Amino acid sequence: MALNDSFHPVAWLAWLAAAALPALSTRNPLYLSLVLLAAGVVYLALERCSRGTQPAGRSWGAFVRFGALLWLLTIPFTALTAHHGTLVLLRLPAAWPVVGGPITGEALLYGLTGGLALIGLLLVFATFNVAVDQARLLRMTPGFIYQVGVVASIAVAFVPQMVGAWQTIREVQQVRGHRVRGLRDLLPLIIPLLVTALERAVQLAESMEARGFGCQAEATPRRRTIQQLAVLAGLAAIAAGVAAAGFWRDRPWPAGVFLACGAGALLGSFWDQGRHVRRSRYRRWQWGRADRAVAVVSLLAGLAWAIAWLARPGWLSYYPYPPSSPWPTFQPGLGMAIAALALPGLLLQPAHKTSNE
Amino acid sequence: MIHFDRVTYTYPDQKVPALADFSATIRPGEFLLVVGPSGVGKSTFLRTLNGLVPHFYGGRWAGQARVFGRDPVAAAPRGMADLVGFVFQDPEAQFVVDTVEDELAFAMENFALPQATMRKRVEEVLDQLSIAHLRNRRISTLSGGEKQRVAIASVMTLQPQLLVLDEPTSQLDPQAAEEVLLALRQLNEDLGLTIILCEHRLERVVQYADRVLYLPAAGATPVLDDPRAVMAQLPQVPPLIRLGRALGWQPLPLTIKEGRVYARKLMEQIGEPANGQALSPAPLPNDSRSIPHSPTPVLAVRDVSYAYNSHLALRGVNLEAWPGEFVALMGRNGSGKTTLLKVLVGLLKPGEGAVRLWGREIASMKQGEIYRQVGMVLQNPTDQLFAATVEEDVAFGPRNLGLNEEQVERRVVESLSLVGALPLRARAIHHISFGEQKRVAIAGVLAMGPSVLLLDEPTAGLDPAGEAEIMRVLSRLNKERGISVLLATHSVDMLPLFADRIYVLNRGAVLHQGPPEAIFRDDEILKKAHLRLPYISGLLYELKKYDGVPIDGLPLTIGEAREKLLELIPDDVIAADVRRGGA
Repeated sequence: MALNDSFHPVAWLAWLAAAALPALSTRNPLYLSLVLLAAGVVYLALERCSRGTQPAGRSWGAFVRFGALLWLLTIPFTALTAHHGTLVLLRLPAAWPVVGGPITGEALLYGLTGGLALIGLLLVFATFNVAVDQARLLRMTPGFIYQVGVVASIAVAFVPQMVGAWQTIREVQQVRGHRVRGLRDLLPLIIPLLVTALERAVQLAESMEARGFGCQAEATPRRRTIQQLAVLAGLAAIAAGVAAAGFWRDRPWPAGVFLACGAGALLGSFWDQGRHVRRSRYRRWQWGRADRAVAVVSLLAGLAWAIAWLARPGWLSYYPYPPSSPWPTFQPGLGMAIAALALPGLLLQPAHKTSNE
Repeated sequence: MIHFDRVTYTYPDQKVPALADFSATIRPGEFLLVVGPSGVGKSTFLRTLNGLVPHFYGGRWAGQARVFGRDPVAAAPRGMADLVGFVFQDPEAQFVVDTVEDELAFAMENFALPQATMRKRVEEVLDQLSIAHLRNRRISTLSGGEKQRVAIASVMTLQPQLLVLDEPTSQLDPQAAEEVLLALRQLNEDLGLTIILCEHRLERVVQYADRVLYLPAAGATPVLDDPRAVMAQLPQVPPLIRLGRALGWQPLPLTIKEGRVYARKLMEQIGEPANGQALSPAPLPNDSRSIPHSPTPVLAVRDVSYAYNSHLALRGVNLEAWPGEFVALMGRNGSGKTTLLKVLVGLLKPGEGAVRLWGREIASMKQGEIYRQVGMVLQNPTDQLFAATVEEDVAFGPRNLGLNEEQVERRVVESLSLVGALPLRARAIHHISFGEQKRVAIAGVLAMGPSVLLLDEPTAGLDPAGEAEIMRVLSRLNKERGISVLLATHSVDMLPLFADRIYVLNRGAVLHQGPPEAIFRDDEILKKAHLRLPYISGLLYELKKYDGVPIDGLPLTIGEAREKLLELIPDDVIAADVRRGGA
């Protein structure tokens, strides 16, 4: 099993959701630093265990550089355009269009934390990318949308091929004296690329059809109509629920009922569609103790955070401008929830055997 | 049993049917080779076997077809998939996932086979095709031959009774092609699998065929017969068979081994050698094909090395091309031929060494200057042709050089006539055949007025007639216009007729160089580069070495071979008409 010896992809998905949630919902630098730390611990453990079979370091490095770049862009942006706060660092002439006025420390802090949230999100995704092989993940697409999984895995192979073809086409036209000076000059490059892509796509489609790929749902037309109506009804109910939550803020329960019914209809329809798709799966990843541990801990951490977000939003918010204090608050419970996300890093060992194959 | 009864099929928007009144019966367990000129309907016929025609393409269908009892038109490709496996021409475009094992499972997943069955079949198929060592590899890292074997394996998992292949080796070099064809032969012999395949390079596969289906022209009656009977009528046949036809050898030899059977016959006909002389090794030919050299070579490469992604593609290459010379670069896929061509034209900068054009280093020249003198045509014309019509596309190069419209028109007409494509000038580029596209691509580069033309595999994917046409065009450019031609190829049979000098490349280094007589003297160098002698030389080499037939020198072409062999045989033995001519 040479490709990727780590936990079950669904466990990693749970981890991803739990780790991304703080980065998306707060700007508190303490929590965000903890997220970064947890992601870093997991990444280091993965590096140690990968035995150099994958060039994992490269993608992580690219993400870090990209994140740092974004950070460097957002800090001055916020610092220069927001002019509230009492701690004045610098005073630019008020006549200047956007940046004129006092440049405050609070604005700088706010920019810093915004960038930190971005980096945190990026690094969480980078770790996930290293942990899970995309091919494996795509093979796990739920049954009712298996076509999406197949198309996505084809795209993953197709895109690098097209990049290679683009390079060759550029060279060929370059030798005929072609230089790109305007939009029209792209034509000699784009047309051959499109033709090549089309030819490959047609042959691939033939190959797939010749191997039996195609409509694999065995439901009767009546059942299919019911499934599709259920999806529509579910979506409509969810939309109604969101609207109700917006318009009737003091009476939350009609909105809640709509949302619950909508979600139920959708999930029921998806499950039923999945049952009717006649396809089997070659790989069956088994759940070991470690996989379950990671999944459960991630779920709990995510749940804790979600509850805090809904019930006590004050714990999460960080707003340095007056009258709030620029010092961040810290709830030990939430801190523990984030720290628990470092668990995969601690459980991964070089001799760790997954229960696949 | 595969049975076709008066099948007529027309593609949508076409007036002329691709298959007209086609009837044939193919026996189970047969290895059938389908041959015919380009565009005659071979691919269409192959696709009718599993229902891709008419289901994938539309169009009009008449007649009856039965493949092992099932009707492809009624069953549609999905219904035929467990009976017929189809492998396509381009190894790059047949895979859905990137892992070999998952790809093998794809077809079985579509049929909802239980996991235990899937695992068992994957093991079986990996064994049958001898690719068990590739099991966990990523498909994008495999070579062409390995990819095609994985493609065959991925359709074999459904345990079909018929395997259909559409030009499976046209993109592969000779060694990879042999691996694939041997695998097919093994499947045919061990499993009794019926195999139907179409291929232009007949010499690779005709010896394995039980019967040959020859489609002479669109709509004409097909010929379905024993391979030797069909080879006797085909207009374009591989070199060995042409030699056999020329010498009146019956039955026709399909391989070198079969050709050696005639050695005994020849020895009997010759009788004892007149003065019992020991066979002397062929004297080194004096440089009969050398051209009076101007002092400066057109292109000179000194100690060039090139590496990318920590892979050394070229190692210390030295090369020279003189004005008016026809030079060939021989080597398998991946030996560095294409990289060398790109370095010669300045697209790639060598890590070490220098390339000189007429004595000047190209690193110091501007790109526009280089492209006016050195033209490069890469393998796939689709990468180059983009305009609406042929003349528009050929005019692209001259226009980029800044010529006025009158000069552009003159260049377009001139280059199109040189490649024999002037009648096509107003045609749309996607409506001409592949061979015509290749010639238009050459014209497009010729219109820039270069004195050196570099070509990468100009004959790949062409049928024998197209191949002959391209080589004639190149020869004309070389002899009549004095354009130096540098040609990268792995196809050795036609080189003795055209090349003045040959460089043999392997793993980025030049193994040997010299005129064809020097290169094709023996097997050793060529074996190291994973190439082979041209079939004629190969046969005569073995006749000389193992059977003691006293042939003088080593003929490289059919004409030479015929003469030398006829010289040996006394007049009264060989039939007069064979001696007179006919090939």
